[in-house]
Amino acid sequence: MRDIWLIAKREYLEQIRGKAFKVTTILIPVVFVSIFSISFFASKNSGSGKHITIAANDPALAARVRDQLLTDKDARMIVDVIAPAADSVRQQLLTEVDEKQLDGFLWLTTESDGSKASATYAAHASGDFATTARLSDAVDHAVVQQRLTAHGIAAGDVEALTSDVKIHTEQVKNGKEVSSNAFGTFWAAYIMAFLLSFTVVMYGMNVGRSVIQEKTSRIFEVMLATVKPGDMLAGKLIGIGAVGLSQLAIWAIAAAIFSGSALAASLMSGGLKIQVSGAEIALFAIYFLLGYALYSALFAGLAATCDTEQELQQYAPLAAVPIWLSFGMITFIVSNPNSALSVAISMFPPCAPITMFLRIASQFPPLWQIALSLAIMAVSVYIVIWLSSRIYRIGILMYGKRATIPEMLRWLRYS
Amino acid sequence: MPAVVELDRISKSYEKKVAVRELSLRIEAGTMFGLLGPNGSGKTSSIRMMVGITMPDSGSVNLLGKPFARESLKQVGYLPEERGLYKKMKVLDQLIFMGELRGLDKGTAGRRAHNWCERLQILEAVDKKTEELSKGMQQKIQFISTLMHDPELIIMDEPFSGLDPVNAVLLQDTLIDLKNAGKAILFSTHRMDQVEKLCDAICLINAGQAVLSGGMREVKSRYERDRVVLQFEGDNSFLQHPAIAEYKDYSGHVEIKLKPHADAQSLLREAIEKAKIYKFELVEPSLEEIFIQTVGEKVDA
Repeated sequence: MRDIWLIAKREYLEQIRGKAFKVTTILIPVVFVSIFSISFFASKNSGSGKHITIAANDPALAARVRDQLLTDKDARMIVDVIAPAADSVRQQLLTEVDEKQLDGFLWLTTESDGSKASATYAAHASGDFATTARLSDAVDHAVVQQRLTAHGIAAGDVEALTSDVKIHTEQVKNGKEVSSNAFGTFWAAYIMAFLLSFTVVMYGMNVGRSVIQEKTSRIFEVMLATVKPGDMLAGKLIGIGAVGLSQLAIWAIAAAIFSGSALAASLMSGGLKIQVSGAEIALFAIYFLLGYALYSALFAGLAATCDTEQELQQYAPLAAVPIWLSFGMITFIVSNPNSALSVAISMFPPCAPITMFLRIASQFPPLWQIALSLAIMAVSVYIVIWLSSRIYRIGILMYGKRATIPEMLRWLRYS
Repeated sequence: MPAVVELDRISKSYEKKVAVRELSLRIEAGTMFGLLGPNGSGKTSSIRMMVGITMPDSGSVNLLGKPFARESLKQVGYLPEERGLYKKMKVLDQLIFMGELRGLDKGTAGRRAHNWCERLQILEAVDKKTEELSKGMQQKIQFISTLMHDPELIIMDEPFSGLDPVNAVLLQDTLIDLKNAGKAILFSTHRMDQVEKLCDAICLINAGQAVLSGGMREVKSRYERDRVVLQFEGDNSFLQHPAIAEYKDYSGHVEIKLKPHADAQSLLREAIEKAKIYKFELVEPSLEEIFIQTVGEKVDA
């Protein structure tokens, strides 16, 4: 036990004092905040500031569409109207779009009795979904208003009939409605899952790198003359895991201080409200530890079979694939947290820390499912550590060439 | 008094290759023991079994009079051939860490590290990071970390490789001091001149087997003094003496190889009669010659 403690302490102090720890402690939150602010504001502001022209044969409809578009303050659109428009106008508009004087134009035609309307949006950029959605919304609205007016309904009633209903979301917790901000929950889940996957893999790889460094610096055999390989591996995992927890703690404290500040309050009023409960923090720590143990034991075993960091990099997809898989399912899981697929993937150990966390954040799963996923993880951590420590014990004394899979299997049989 | 190390017919195979076969040896306290052999002959494999890094497939290892137990390793200092240090750690921290792992408390480890650095003249380096030091200095630190816990058995795999002559002598003298203090020292090398000078007993292994072992004097006495170095002036017809198997005459300086069991004294008598002799020396074969002869024979066989 004393040996494990000494090795863990050495590893912890070396990493905490190292430059990499200081750099990542500051840089990762900066990068995170930038990425999330950019994607948040980009999604909010996408398709804004566009200059378009509405060309229609019906001036009244064109004016309504224009009014609709201008009510959306976020869009900050500049809208010109040409109505009634002759076919010759079309060629002129196309030239303007081509010369980038216009972002695009909307060509609206209606039958004279107002029964049928067709709309075409031609733009320089394809795939501007935000603008297309805004236009479609505006045209729908305008056409309905136009038809209602045509049926002799008063202007005030038209306005009332077609006004939008804003959906207020609430979350049901313990049989009571709790006011919730669906947007904030999603972002909280997203950030925590991202942070979890990132730190689990980063520290898992860190263990692998540390094993490689000890191998290349030839310190192993010196150590093994007094310390058991299992103790060395255990000390390393504990020491680096403690570094990871320390870094997470620093971020959590910094975030708590920041969210209490006036600056945060002013930012949060913009609608980005993030809710995190105590249970979520505790589970975050547990999933971090189990996920870290799984990946770090795996990489420690693999690193022992390699001679250089470059060789170890070839195994990186083993960590990357489960994470891509989890992230590919992020919207599915957040919108269907209790579907069979979501439950299954949150039981699968390599994906469990991220996917279960997404489920926890969007809708708290039954406790037995959390317990089961933790149990499956714990068992697989045990198995991976058992396998890795055997490969590690032999691999660290092998120099010169990378072990093949059959060789590794043979090592497993050595007692 | 029991031997400090006693290997009894230990064997170890990897995959298809036999690394060590039925190796037996004894190392007594207060002796310096040389483990010799060409590259890949099983020196490191044998040492690894002595310190429990690997286990023998068969045979037994006794350390300090007891069957091998990890507890005994606190009395062993092992400097492997492939050795290194934590690059980012400061020298003193590193030595304290190694001392603590071998059971010293922090205070004792610090004091001993300081004393050793003073003795090996690297006191100015204790606050530096290892990566800032020269290779020779790093080797001294590895040397110290092996000896900090005052082990009864010191095992060094190629301890002098890569050292400059001044430092090699400093480390050699340290080892001799330790031997005189009653420690058992085993080192492996393929530098025969060092072995001949330093070792009290040797074991020569080739292809995993001991081909020659025993006390240094005893081993050498097994080989005949069958070489003559001679300086003379005058008639050289005595070189046709029946005792001579072959000779090389460098005008007045002759190197002679005698026939097996030939009488060197009768050659001397004849030489004195015919020529004026300045020097007549009956030489025993050097360890290097024994090494080449023994290993060569086995390789041929």
